[in-house]
Amino acid sequence: MVMVKKILLIAAFLICISAFIGKGTAFAVSAEENYKFYCTQCHGMDGKGDGANSKPKSVGIDLPEMSVTPRNHTSPEDMNKLTDTDIENAISGGGGAVSKSTIMPAFGKTLTEAEIKDLLAHLRKLCKCKGK
Amino acid sequence: MSVRKMHCLMGVFVAAVILAGLTANSSYAGSDEGKNIVNAKNCGTCHQLQGPATEKTFEEQLKKKGPELWYSGSKFKKEWLEGWLANPTNIRLLKYNSITEKNSEKHPVLSKKEADEVAEYLMTLTAKEVTASGITEAVTPQGKNLFIKRYGCVGCHSIKAGAKKVGGVSGPDLSEAGKRLKGDWVYAYLKEPKVFKPVKRMPVFVGIINDNEMKILAGFVAGQK
Repeated sequence: MVMVKKILLIAAFLICISAFIGKGTAFAVSAEENYKFYCTQCHGMDGKGDGANSKPKSVGIDLPEMSVTPRNHTSPEDMNKLTDTDIENAISGGGGAVSKSTIMPAFGKTLTEAEIKDLLAHLRKLCKCKGK
Repeated sequence: MSVRKMHCLMGVFVAAVILAGLTANSSYAGSDEGKNIVNAKNCGTCHQLQGPATEKTFEEQLKKKGPELWYSGSKFKKEWLEGWLANPTNIRLLKYNSITEKNSEKHPVLSKKEADEVAEYLMTLTAKEVTASGITEAVTPQGKNLFIKRYGCVGCHSIKAGAKKVGGVSGPDLSEAGKRLKGDWVYAYLKEPKVFKPVKRMPVFVGIINDNEMKILAGFVAGQK
């Protein structure tokens, strides 16, 4: 009985610790918040691939458009080309990790694995698609 | 040596020590005045003047109205600060903390004397994490490759491309960063981002960009003049 209690205590301790150890640091309470804070810089407030970095002129800044058009997250056609794993890998390792443009940086040390999974679900909501 | 000569030599020595002390103090001349100006103008309303960074949520970061200055002596080059405070221009092309609005803010303008004194004070605000790390401040092919191709920094930061400027707008404009930033600070910022800005839109690159590449990138950024 004592042994079982000890094991349970150790398990509880490990679960608590694991909640605090991640690759990134969670600042947001939802995937929407993370999307708004990080992704919209390039992908736009509505996820259409038209963020300020992509089209500086759209915010009144006279600089050329980004050399690569960020993916339109609301397009089922574009988003269906990607598997869930592709999307997770692109967020975590950047565009280069999925043979796409390296202008998409890696967020694997910024977001936790759980946050990346939540972002994936958010992206699937935006495109209203399931992927290939 | 006669007693008189000894006294004379000692007198000269004491005078030299006093003079040296006065000269040393004079190198900080203006720092107190600068602090008084910063307080009188309420710069602390928009700028954090005392560390450490404590933000833990997006909300806490987004509440801020201007860049943190508690490590400005480690970050900025003094000559640039003196010039900028008397003739400020917008460094981030988008408004502070915004990703949809162009930066049309007008920072208060200081007189030349005020600018020099405030710069003197700001240079006393330092972070122990920024140390001499042997950064070569120069635009190198390796730095350019890392900045543009390998890590896509250009997606958010603008730099010079010949006579033109290219790049994104959500990060600070780096096209003349070398006039403004110390390479050692850029390196420290990449290496220990949480010390300087724990919550920020720029991804954490620790564990992604290796130490040597961080140094090359810091040199490339500080080489933009």
